[in-house]
Formats: sequence, C-alpha cells, structure tokens
Amino acid sequence: MSQGVSAIARDIDDPYDGLVLPEEDGLFARDIDGQLVRMDKVTAADFDKQITITIDGRAVTVPKAVPLTDSQGKILRDSEGRLIPRATTIFDAATKAYADEPDGNPIPILCHQEHLEPAGVCRVCCVEIAKVKRGSMQRERKLLPACHHRVEETMEVQTIRSPDLAARRRVDANVRTLVNLLAADHLPADWHDHLPSNELGRLTKRLDALAVEARDLERQAEEAAHSGQPIDEAGIEAKWPLTGNQPFAARGLERGQDHSSPRIDVDHDQCILCDRCVRACTDVKQNFVIGRSDKGYATHVAFDLDDPMGTSSCVSCGECMISCPTGALVFKGIVAEALATEGEERLTADELATYPIFASVPPKFLAWNGGAVTRRRFAPGDVICREGEYASTAFLIVRGRVGVSIGGERADGRGSGGLKAFVRTATRWLQGGRAGGASTGVERRSTVHIDGGRSLVLEGGRWVDEMTSEDVIFGEMSCLNHYPRSATVVALEPTELLEIHKNVLHMLQRNEASRRILDEAYRGRSLARELRQLSMFQGLSEADRSRCAEMLRDRAEIVRVDRGQPIFHQGDVADDFFKVRLGFVKVSQRLGDQDRTIDYLGPGRSFGEIGLVTALVDFGESLSAAGASRARRTATCTALDDVELVRIRGGDFRALIREFPAARDHLVAEAQRLLDRDRDRSSQADKNLEGFLENGLYSAQKLLVLDLESCTRCDECTRACSDTHDGITRLIREGLRFENFLVASSCRSCLDPYCLVGCPVDAIHRKPRENHPGAVEIVIENHCIGCGLCSTNCPYGNISMHTESRSGEADRRLATTCDLCRDLVGPNDDPSCVYACPHDAAFRMSGQDLLKIVATRRGAQA
Amino acid sequence: MIVQELHHIQKRHRYLPADELRRLAERTGTPLYRLQEVASFFPHFHLEPPPAVEVLVCHDMACHLRGCAGAKAAFEHGMAAEIATGKVAVRYASCLGRCDRPVAASVNDRFFAARSADELVSLTRDALADRLPAADLDSSYAFHANRPWRIDPYDAAGTYDAVRNFAAGPDRQRVIDELKASDLRGMGGAGVPAHQKWNDVWKAKGDEKYIVCNADESEPGTFKDRELLTRHPWLVLEGVILAGLLTGATRGWIYIRHEYAEQIAIMNAEIRRAESLGACGSRIAGSTMSFPVEVFPSPGGYICGEQSALIEAMEDRRAQPRNKPPQLETNGLYDKPTLVSNVETFAWAPAIVLRGGQWYADSGVNGCKGSRIFSISGDVIRPGVYELPNGTTLRELLHDLCGGTPRPLKAFAPSGPSGGFLPAQVPVTALPRGWEKRAPADLVEKVKASGGTHLDILDLQLDLQRFRDLGLAIGAGLVVYDDSRDMAAEAVNCSQFFRDESCGKCVPCRIGSQKIVEIGEELLANRLNTAALAVREPLVNELTRAMEMTSICGLGMVAAKPFQSAIQFFRDDVSRHLNGNSAGHAKGDSR
Repeated sequence: MSQGVSAIARDIDDPYDGLVLPEEDGLFARDIDGQLVRMDKVTAADFDKQITITIDGRAVTVPKAVPLTDSQGKILRDSEGRLIPRATTIFDAATKAYADEPDGNPIPILCHQEHLEPAGVCRVCCVEIAKVKRGSMQRERKLLPACHHRVEETMEVQTIRSPDLAARRRVDANVRTLVNLLAADHLPADWHDHLPSNELGRLTKRLDALAVEARDLERQAEEAAHSGQPIDEAGIEAKWPLTGNQPFAARGLERGQDHSSPRIDVDHDQCILCDRCVRACTDVKQNFVIGRSDKGYATHVAFDLDDPMGTSSCVSCGECMISCPTGALVFKGIVAEALATEGEERLTADELATYPIFASVPPKFLAWNGGAVTRRRFAPGDVICREGEYASTAFLIVRGRVGVSIGGERADGRGSGGLKAFVRTATRWLQGGRAGGASTGVERRSTVHIDGGRSLVLEGGRWVDEMTSEDVIFGEMSCLNHYPRSATVVALEPTELLEIHKNVLHMLQRNEASRRILDEAYRGRSLARELRQLSMFQGLSEADRSRCAEMLRDRAEIVRVDRGQPIFHQGDVADDFFKVRLGFVKVSQRLGDQDRTIDYLGPGRSFGEIGLVTALVDFGESLSAAGASRARRTATCTALDDVELVRIRGGDFRALIREFPAARDHLVAEAQRLLDRDRDRSSQADKNLEGFLENGLYSAQKLLVLDLESCTRCDECTRACSDTHDGITRLIREGLRFENFLVASSCRSCLDPYCLVGCPVDAIHRKPRENHPGAVEIVIENHCIGCGLCSTNCPYGNISMHTESRSGEADRRLATTCDLCRDLVGPNDDPSCVYACPHDAAFRMSGQDLLKIVATRRGAQA
Repeated sequence: MIVQELHHIQKRHRYLPADELRRLAERTGTPLYRLQEVASFFPHFHLEPPPAVEVLVCHDMACHLRGCAGAKAAFEHGMAAEIATGKVAVRYASCLGRCDRPVAASVNDRFFAARSADELVSLTRDALADRLPAADLDSSYAFHANRPWRIDPYDAAGTYDAVRNFAAGPDRQRVIDELKASDLRGMGGAGVPAHQKWNDVWKAKGDEKYIVCNADESEPGTFKDRELLTRHPWLVLEGVILAGLLTGATRGWIYIRHEYAEQIAIMNAEIRRAESLGACGSRIAGSTMSFPVEVFPSPGGYICGEQSALIEAMEDRRAQPRNKPPQLETNGLYDKPTLVSNVETFAWAPAIVLRGGQWYADSGVNGCKGSRIFSISGDVIRPGVYELPNGTTLRELLHDLCGGTPRPLKAFAPSGPSGGFLPAQVPVTALPRGWEKRAPADLVEKVKASGGTHLDILDLQLDLQRFRDLGLAIGAGLVVYDDSRDMAAEAVNCSQFFRDESCGKCVPCRIGSQKIVEIGEELLANRLNTAALAVREPLVNELTRAMEMTSICGLGMVAAKPFQSAIQFFRDDVSRHLNGNSAGHAKGDSR
C-alpha cells in the first residue's frame, strides 16, 4: 500500500495525466460548435399530431411539431433531405391563440426571438403549467419558460394576464422580480429616451400597465364578493406593485464600454446576457465571433478571445446590434442613407413603428438603415415602377389605387430600353373599374382620361389588375428573384406608398406574422395571375381561366428547396405539379446506368405535368405508348440553387380537371410534347450541359470569356481593369475552363445572383442606368459596411473584400465587384477588359451564348 | 476535446497564452469565441501568467467556522514581501472538500488540510524554492467513521463478484427488480429512484449510450464521495460497470473534480486493476460484453455537479445547466441516452445486487428504508463520514457517533448551504400546514410533550422522505453550528458561495445571487437600520421565491435560502448588525 500511496502522490500533481488526446480529425470534424441538431425527441410523425392546450382559459390547437426553419423561415432538412421536427412551444401556441388580439401574445419575452433557437435564460416568459398526471390535473411546482417548454396534451397554462387572479399573481410576482433585477443592473437612467428600442424598458412599462389592470380587476372582484364594504386599496396596491419603484440596489460591478468598433458601440453594463447577439452572430450569420466570457455575475459577452470588438474578427454586419434588446449594442452612424435620393421623405423608426407590419422589425434596424424606407406620393397617371426595370425595392400601399400593366416584353438592355421604353410603358395604360371586375385581362386599346387634362393611351399592352391598400404590397418579387419588374404600375388615384428596400423586406420575412401577410398578398394577386397564365389553361375561356386560378390559389403551397436537394426522383409516384417561383431546377433522366441532364427550368416554368396526366386513368394510354410509366415521374428534378416552388397537390389537380374538362386536351398535348422533347434531348444530350449547370453558367449574363485559342496571357485585360478602378482590379485571369474558353473570375451579372441575398443595408443590387433601366450589372454602393456577406455568398469568388484607406479617415473594409465599367462606358459598349484586349480574345457574353458557341465550334470541328 | 487541449497548453505554459489559443483555433477549426467561452469559465484555467506560487484558501462553511479569514490574513502578513512583488498570490477558493480537516488550502494545486497559517507560509517558501512537499493525502488520514460499512460487501479490495455474476448470465430485469425492492434513491440530492433511471436508460433507444458517475462533489460540507473514492474505489467502478452492462451502454466515465487529484489517481489505478481482473474493458469476465470506463477530471466548479452542466462540460462547453426537457436519460451526452448518478448511488449497487434489494431496504430504522452515508462537519467533536440507517435521529449521529458539540447546539445545516439553516428548536409555525399528519407519531408526541410550539432538531430522523414531509431538504453534507456562532455571518458566507459558483446562465441566479450577497454584506457592515431591514426583508423573501420558481437549476433555486433562513430563524443575530442610526440607508442608496 505504501508504494501505492507514493505513486499516487506523484500522480496527483497532474490529474489530467494519462489522458490520451484522440486523433485530430475525429475531434472537430463532427461539427464546429459541438452543437447537436436534434434537441429533443419530436419526430416527423408529430407534424400531423394536433395538441390542444389552454392558455389563460383559451383553447388553442397546434401541431405537436413543426419543421425546423432558418432565421428567414426557410425550412431546413437533415443530410438525408428529411424535414427536421421542432417541438411546438407554449410560446408558439400563445402566438397563435392571440394572433387576432390587439395586444397579441400575452407572454413577455426578452431573450427569445422567433427566428432564434430558444435559450431560456432570461426567464421572463415563465408561466404556470398544470397538466393531467396520474389521472388528475396537477400544477407544476416551478414556473417554466414558455419559449422552451413544449406543448403537451391536457396542458393548462397561466400567464401574467390570466383571468384567474390568484394564478396571475403567482406568475406576475416572480416575473416582476426578474424584471426588477434586470432593471436594477442594466437599465440606464435615460432609458425613457430610448424607447422603443430598449425592450427591457418597454417590458417594465408593460408590467406597470398590467399591475394597474390587475388592481382594477381586483377591485371589481372585491366589490362583487363584499358589495358595499370599503375596498382595501393598500392591500391591492401591495399585491400588485409597480416596477418603477425600483427595490433593488443598482449594479455593483462596472463591466465597461467598448468603443473600438468603427460601426458598433458596446455598453456591457446594459447587457442583460440574453445571448441574442451570440445566436445572431453564430446561428444567423455564421460569423462565429461572439460568446460568453467569465462566469456568474461577472459574465459578459466577448468577441473572440475577449478582444476589443474593433480588433476582433467581427465583420460589423450589424446583426448582433439589431438583435440586441437593450442599449448594449448600438450603431455608431446611420448607414444606407444614400438609398433615399435627395428630396425623398425618409421615415424614422418611430414613424414606422406606427405601421403594424413593421412591428416585427427591430427599431434599431430601421433607425440604422436611415434611407431604406421612404414615403412616396403619386398623382393619378404617375408611373410608380416600370416593367423591365431592375430594382431592389417593394411598395407598401398606404392609400390610393394603382393599376398594373404587363406589356409582355422585358427591358433587357437590347432594344427597348431608354426613354422610348418609358414613354411606351407609361402610355400603355387603360383604366378599369375594380367594382365590376369583368374587364380583367381584356386587351383593349383606348384612351384614358385622367385629372388635369392628361390622358394615357394603351398600345398593345394588357391591363391586368389594380390594387389598393388591401393588397398590402407589390414589387416584392423583384427583391426576391432579382428579375426585372414584371409589370408597370401607375397611380390611378392620388396614392401614398412606402417604398422599402430589399433589406427591410428581408427583415419582414424573419417573422411569421409578416411572412403570412406577404404570403397572403402574393396568393391574393401574383399567384392567381401566374396560375392564370399556365399553359394548360390556354384552351379555356378567360372566365374559366380565372376560375381555375381562383380555385387553385388557396390550395397551392409554396415550397422551398435547398440547393442540390432533389424535388423528386425519376420513378417516384407522381402526385404534385410544380411551378418555379424562384431559382432554377435541373431536369435529368437515367438512361441505362447513366444520368443525363436534359434541361433546366427557371422562374415561371412549370413541371411535373407528365406524371400527373398519366395518373388520370383515361389519359394514360397514348402517353404510355410514348414511354411514360403510369403515375411515375419520368425524370429527376433537382434544385440548382435555392428554389421556391408553387406546389399543386395531385388531388386538387384532378378535381380541377374534372371541373374543367377543356383543360384536359391541352394538358395531354402538352405532356406529349414534353415527352417527345425530352426523348430527343435525352438521346442527343449535350455533354456540356452538366458542366454548364454545375458551374452556374445558366444564370450568367455577362461572363468574361477569354478565347484560349487567341489569348496570349498578356494580362492587358487585368491591367485595364485595375487602371479603370483606382488600382483595384475586379477580375482575375484565372477560373473555370469551358472547352477552349476560360471563364475568368469576374462578376457574371447572374440572372439570379446569390450575392444580393441578405445584404443588411441593401448596398449591393442592380440599378437602372440612365436611359437603360434594364442594366444587368451588379453595383456595390458606397454605403457598403464591409461585412463580406456578398463575398461569402458568391459561389464563384467574384466579389473581393479590400480595405480602403483615406487620409484623415479610419480604414474601411469594402466589397468590390465588376460593374461592367458602368460609369465609364455606354450601356452597349465594351467594358475596359474587353476593349483593352489586343488579340480580340476577350468577350462578355451570357452562359447560354457560350454554350452555343462551344457547340457550334465542336460541330465545325466534327 | 477542447478541455483536454487547453489543459495541455496550460501544462506547458502554466497558463493559456492568447497566441497558443489562436494556434489551437486555427489547427482545429474552432472559433476563438468557443475557446474563450470554455477557458474563461472554469477556475482551473488561467488566462494570465500566474504568480510563481498560488495559494488557495478554502472559504466555505467548516473552513469559515475554523477561521479561514484569519488564516488568510496571517498568511498575507507572513508573505507580505513576496505578495507585494507578485511572486506569491493568495485568494479564497470555494470548498476544497476537506471539511473534516479545516482549514483546507492548496499550494500550486497541491492540497493540504488543517494546516496553520505558519505552515502554509513555510509550504509556500518550499514551493518558491521548488521543493514543495507531497500533498496531505486523504488516504493516509484516519478520518472519523463508524466502520465497517454495509455498503462494501468485500473484506478486502473488491473482486467484482456482482459484475462476474451478471456477465455469466445477464438478467437485467432481476437487477432492476432488486433496485426497485431496495428503494435505492439517487444520493446526489434529487432522490430519484435508482431503478427508474437505470430502467429509463436501458429502455431508451440509441446506438450508443453512456454512463457517467458524478464525482464532482463540490458542495460545502460534503465529502463522503471522497472517502468512497479513496477507500472503496471498486464499489464505485463496479456500480458503473453494472449500470453499463445492464443498460447496454458503450462507454462509462467517472467525472471527478480536479481538486480530488488523489482520488483521480486512485480511480485510474482501480480501473487498471479491474481491467487486469477482467471486470472492466473488453470481454468482461470472459463474456462477449465490453464496457470501457475512464476518469474524466473536471475542469472545476460546483455547477459541474448539476448533471446537465456536467454533461455540457464533457461536451467542451461552459458548464451551464440545460433547460429540461429533454432529460439526460434520453438526450444526454452527445445527445445519446445517458445515465448520470452520484458516486454513492453506484457504490450501493454491488451490495444490493449481491445481497438483494430487501437486504438494503431492511437496513433502515424507524420505519425508513435503506442506508446512506453522511459527512458531518463544523462544530462537532468528531467530524467525519458515517454510514447510517435511514431514519437514524440527528441525536444519535451527533451525540452517539460524533461525540456531540463543543458548546450547545445552535443551528444545523441539513444539506450543506443548500437547505438553509435550522435552529436547534424549529418553531412549528415554520413547518408546512398538515405536517403533523405526515410526520411520524412519536415525533409529533415529542413536540407536544415539549409544549407544542417547537420541534427539537435532534429528534429529526435523517431520511429524505421524513425531511420532505416537513418541507425540509436533506443532503449528504451536515454542518453543525454551536452557540458561539453568528448565523447572519454564516448565512452571508453561504450566499457568497452560491454567488461565486453561479454559472451566470439565467437571470434569477446570475443577478439574484449577487443581490442577496449585497444585502447580506450591507447588514454585516452595519449599514442597515431597522427601517432599512424592514424594506429588505420582503425583498429577500420575494427574491428567494422568484429564484426558486424560475431558476433553471437547483443552484439558483436554493441560492437565497441560507440568508432567508437566517432572517427567519436567527433574528437576534441579524438584529445585532443593525446600526442604531435611524437615518440609515434607504433602499437603492447606491444608485
């Protein structure tokens, strides 16, 4: 034993001795944060299970689980493409139960945000729960956080607004103590000046209002119970105290401030450790900079290794700041002021707060993006936006009436641009009365008389629709699919609109309630319009077309599919029909043991009709002769990028066919045509198509292509670029080889550019050039905050970050990309790189043109 | 394995230089903030270069009673020059687990018990001269106990008979049935029936399952796991292996606080011994079953004793308790079904399996079932570790086994700092309504016989359910206070412990534990008058309730209790600190 003891005496100096470090790739390969995807054991089966609970006596039925979504409401999938179930929480259920109440969800929250995974750290959402256990209703001893706790059958929940005053007080007293603790430590003396962005301050005010309300209820109850007796006012007030009467001594620890970041100020003393910035930085933006440091009362948020924010790896994207519920993270200067042009009326965050749709958008975001929302007023006849024009704004209709016209042509920079297009679209106008509605879609040629002696003439265009404030929003599709405006909109009455930039729209989509408003607006208008234009309805009368569209629109679902995910496989049972709303879909077929890519589909195209048609018993014959298996998919469809689809279920589709037999013939003919075409394509599939799709060339509009047969690698193109752009080149003479061409690394001006998604300040977008509304080049505005998101998002590495040093100013990090020498050359002129090439080897062309040239050249060689 | 990586860096540099952390981040693809989160959380890690010698003096309960403040001051006086030059630093540490030999201290992570300030000075000089002697070993200290203990069925070092029997013919249901018959409860505090947890993990679906033995014993006043690990390591290991084989788990860990360096070494040696006996590792006792067990040294902190926080620490995160559900039994370590139990719970399993559940259940007295091991410290003649039948009265333990108190009994902490303090005579008004119906008849009789207004705590039967019936909590660490003690000061001492050990995750505990300390320190500094106390008293009660109702874990739920119980039961001690100045300090005076 004595020997043992001395051995032990040696060992104990290092309790970690004898631990073997596992091999390295096993360590961190698993996942970056040690975060586990599955938090609890809800399963996909729970999507269909309905749970009914009561909240403050109000029954609400919710699914037991819903699919997990990202911060933008996009549904996430696991590595095998399955939906990931997320348990429905009490807070979710309360949001649903109180959706139509003016005060909304009665449960207060601080650390929770709908788009974040619940942390359950602030505890102010604590509620009292009772449920049936062992045959009788039993109350949980502890209060439980509604943001985290899942709904369970028989659950009865009491909140700080429960009509049961005793229960209400059990919740209220504890929540009030928590808020008092937070206020003592983290509310600055001047918090009243920082409403509404200080959510803690707002909550203290709300608790006071609730206390006043509870006192009234208490008085009423006393009155009812002991009518005529004097009411115990002091007792009631003691029972329902006000928070303003701060009982706790102030913070005993100064955690300090950090002013080192050029964009964001940090006041650690105001930080309530809600972890919202931590999750914003890592879960929403994947920047991995912010965490908690130290322990217990000394805990504070820290950047990297507790570095000053300004010297940490923070990219200043602002996500933490707009997530922060207090004054702990605030912006230093307003950005995006430049978004509003001179003379436009900018709306302040306070003004915007009065519009319900902005309730979900953090006030700090609105204040920071100073020019992102402007008020626009239009007189009858004024053109609000023009078909064919690129834009990154949408319009919220405050009042008035507007008309929508589709001319069927797009200003793509070739021919119809410029003043001529403007005049044409502006005069392509027709007046119609909404009340009758009968004129929908009718083509006419007429003169429209508008106040003030002006008149508009429609020439060949189609009057399609009109909208009022009931339609909420228009123009948002240009922000989402980055396509040019699909219609021209003109004011029919004196009209007031809020023009919002795409970054504001992005924030609106964070929230389920505003997502629903947008979705309904889309269904109510665009979807019906799009459905009406489906080719299968071509044989129908206008009236029937509209009826078909009406019938389908409420049943159609909007489905989002991640890049690379299959939508269906060849041979699968066919039961849905799809129309592409956003993004591109690859169509491939298996021939023998080979997969061949036969086509790709962009926005507006539909697919899935063949399988559906063959599923109709009496239509199968002729098509199976053409090689289609009954009710099976004839091809595999895969999302090439982030795709949004309109899905029509087979059952709805068949019901429609029964109702409108005239649609059948067209449909069968269309299916036949597609089958024939696919067979042709399949047999002579372009071997370049796969690479064309894989490398995103289908989306490219302005590739910089160097013909390697004539290029001498003299690098004049790069030099010209650098000379044009203050010494910072926007092209690298390296990149993808496509046959005998080099696709150099320079912005491709993609049809559906990834780089435009999520810019927090809408600094990157397309914008019309003078006399050239359809200009395709991507422009990065000077108010870029340098967060690098666009650079990360560009799959082709064509956006680079650089630091700009100006004397007398702090260094700025900026994103740069090729703008086709927009400020230097005319819309149809060659940019410097092409112009400078001494060997005529440089070209700007679309991906499709490149594919054609390659095919032609190969044909010539053969 | 961030924790292990950080340890290796610290071993090379004695702290964690930022450059090394950046290299680690680069090498492993870990974001810097993740390293900072972990490195700054655990007391084991230093982010700044430490002094040549760092001395920690235990601050809690028994060490506080024995005058840790005086010892620290005397040490500071003795080493004034070295401290001034920064060569030596001394600071308080939370409970070091040697409450039977206060004051406990460590010199450069080597642990010493019951040393005077002069001895600490001399040890420090030795350390400066690079000749620090070996630590005071727990294994060479003859602590007070009532041996032999029923828990150990072996006469000498364990031979893993229960594991052998099981491997020869696994009958899982029989083991569950024996555990059920025994009514063995979790000894970590919550008292969850052991058979339930074992059964849950056995029945949980999962390709991998884990067993974790919680040996992070860090609660002031509690050191019985230390003795089980030191002198009966085979019981702990055998219990873990049994649980592993029964549940079909793939790996087991014994998670030991790093201050138990000796026990870590003993346990490592025991694992090797068990492997050589064929009772642990692969092909156990010639069967096809395998179950490897390892020691996981904790990076430190009382909060790691909270089982979900412990799992977080094992997953390389800050030891912050999880929101439950899900429970660990289904979603534990790496989201796999995991059985986490206390050292003693595992240690009882071999005897119960070998001798039968009824044997254990029958060991209780006064109508209680089973036995339990208690650590007792503070103002008691023979502090130590005692195995007692559940239902034994405090009188029997304190007077018959521990030799009583040096002076008359004043107060009793039945669960370290977590259960607050009880006065020697508990007013029945403080007991929950209807207590007489639930309490044993003889106890009710005794109360009646003594006037019916008070309950003599010496009559309390040490048993989880008996305490619960009276609205009280009982843990494994019993601390005794005699009438020379100022319970207001002792309460603040306990409040400071909770404040220091709060992880800071949830608001009630993070801020609440500090506010309680602030109010307590105000009181001790004679800054409160009667009026100011009258304002604070309801505040303390509200805070106590809000922390209990809304905190995520047990630490936050009880953190306000010691101070609240001092106000409730030891009014004289509290009043003694009030200043007579009626002008006093109004609420919110520091704003």
